Amino acid sequence: MAIQIILLCGLVIFSALAILLRDLIKAALSLAVASLLLGIIFFRLAAPYAAVFEISVVAGLITVLFILTIALTKKGDEITEARLVKLAFPVFLILFLVIDGLVMKSLLQKIPALPSGPESGTFGEVLWKQRTFDLVAQVGVILAGVLAVLALFRKKEEDKDE
Amino acid sequence: MVFSFIVIPLLVAAFLPLVGKFSRKLLPDVLTNAALAFLLFNSILLIKPIFNHGVIVQNLNWLGEKVNLQVALDGFNLFMLFTISLVSLCIALFSIDYLEHYGHKSTFYALFLVMIAGMNGLVLVPDLFSVYLFLEVAAVASYALVAFGLGYDELEASFKYLMLSVVASAFALLSITVIFGMTGSLNFQAVAQGLQDLEARLVLGVCVAFFIMGFGLKAALVPFHAWLPDAHPSAPAPISAMLSGLLIKVSGIYALFRIIYSVIGLTPVLSQVLMALGTISMVVAALLALGQKDVKRMLAYSSISQVGYIVLGLALGTPLGIAGALFHLFNHAVAKGLLFLNSGSIQHITGTRNLDELGGLGKVVPVTAGTNLVGALSIAGVPPLAGFWSKLVIIMALIQAREFGYALVAILASILTLWYYLLIQRKAFFGLVAEKWRQVKEAPFWMSAANVVLALVCILAGIFFTPIFKTWISPAAEALARGIQQVLMWGL
Repeated sequence: MAIQIILLCGLVIFSALAILLRDLIKAALSLAVASLLLGIIFFRLAAPYAAVFEISVVAGLITVLFILTIALTKKGDEITEARLVKLAFPVFLILFLVIDGLVMKSLLQKIPALPSGPESGTFGEVLWKQRTFDLVAQVGVILAGVLAVLALFRKKEEDKDE
Repeated sequence: MVFSFIVIPLLVAAFLPLVGKFSRKLLPDVLTNAALAFLLFNSILLIKPIFNHGVIVQNLNWLGEKVNLQVALDGFNLFMLFTISLVSLCIALFSIDYLEHYGHKSTFYALFLVMIAGMNGLVLVPDLFSVYLFLEVAAVASYALVAFGLGYDELEASFKYLMLSVVASAFALLSITVIFGMTGSLNFQAVAQGLQDLEARLVLGVCVAFFIMGFGLKAALVPFHAWLPDAHPSAPAPISAMLSGLLIKVSGIYALFRIIYSVIGLTPVLSQVLMALGTISMVVAALLALGQKDVKRMLAYSSISQVGYIVLGLALGTPLGIAGALFHLFNHAVAKGLLFLNSGSIQHITGTRNLDELGGLGKVVPVTAGTNLVGALSIAGVPPLAGFWSKLVIIMALIQAREFGYALVAILASILTLWYYLLIQRKAFFGLVAEKWRQVKEAPFWMSAANVVLALVCILAGIFFTPIFKTWISPAAEALARGIQQVLMWGL
């Protein structure tokens, strides 16, 4: 239980750091550490597949992409933020933590234990045979992402007539 | 047949960037409009079987292997599919001419079709997590479409929309997670049954609150509306029409009320909370609309106000209230689609959307002025246009349920609506023609044609109100009014 609490606190702290830190490289690394901690939490909660995806994709691949992108940008575009804007996130975070704590405290004993539902089986079976529609939607999300990149990073073109 | 609503737009979207390499304009135009016309035809064909049987459940096998591709169609989601297909076809027709100066038509159409596939998927899937996923499909496509112009305003609006939309999705996902934790299932039917057997009212209350926050943000209900007046005006006109006409209704209202009615069950407290939210949206947004100078910004506030009417009717929970709200949902989708397309025509013709700079356009562009008047009067609820009937039914339902206060506010908000729409009409189209607008020409053919079709729908739906209400709105309203029994009827 103590390890779990330490991991959860670490997750919240590193997630907050990812937003608060002004240095983008440090922010990206904080996010990677946060998702690494989340991956460990998934392992401890007996969700090894979710943990593998979290660590390999979010902590690994996405961090590499972030750092590559940051390395390709130049200094000089920093925007100075007003003090009020800087304060907004910490205030919101503290408020959220207080409300979250109160709600969870009142819910803690009241959420019934998970009954064994029909949606169980091996990972492959669940993914391909029970959650097939999610794969179709996943294809849709990836397609939308690819098309969004095509649309937003396009060169302005002079459309010629057919 | 039912799967085609998801598969066809996705397939066409996947091929469009390749097609765009060979033909920049003609083929993308033809393919997109043909796909959408097919979907509209398909949804019309399904009206009879749904009228006879009530529900269609389809399972798809993949290469002989049994997989879980299951869709459930009843009166409510068929009604949504038809509305999506009709309005999006008109918007695609409008885009043929409107997109000429943007370029990259194939990419635009591809994103447009992915957004439609996402909305159709959301409407058809009988599963909470799949609802969330298709919500994201439509949302990711819409972020890119809002920013499609690549100007500073577009990018800023898209970023703001993305940030708030992610918060909305997070709330919905959190609620879905807790429900899965309680019931061990995500399927509508199993969750509905599971929740009936559980004694967890407090937890369920928190879940509903999260759903209202999440889907309320998507539907831009006051106080979750801040993103909409920025995002909708900044987008290209066809996308503004799509977002205001369809997306906020599908990813906000449909998702929220399908889950509340068919999975969780509408309680009196929940009904009162939603009615209050609907009424606040209706009044606050109408007052905010009055002060706007930008046509599209005024229309965006009007969307929030009209969504308030729909929520008020749906939250009332009586069969008449639900039917009125659904008819208003259709009327608003058509009329607001028309008005946003018209604002695109105005900008195309004059190069501005500022009401103070416009004036007297009615004499030089009569088609745009005429169609705009039809759309405005329909939303404002002037007889015999379609919007009049839907508002009348909602108000009658409120009086029938002895909610006189809400009925009075609905009437007053309707007067406010008429006021700001007449303001647009007077400032843009009536009066003397300003010197600089004397030489302007009517919008190109496809833009005007799309506007005329939507205006005709507003008029015809008003004139043929009774048969439309009986054959099409009532089955949809009955499907919702049956509540959890409806989902249990699906026999998934």
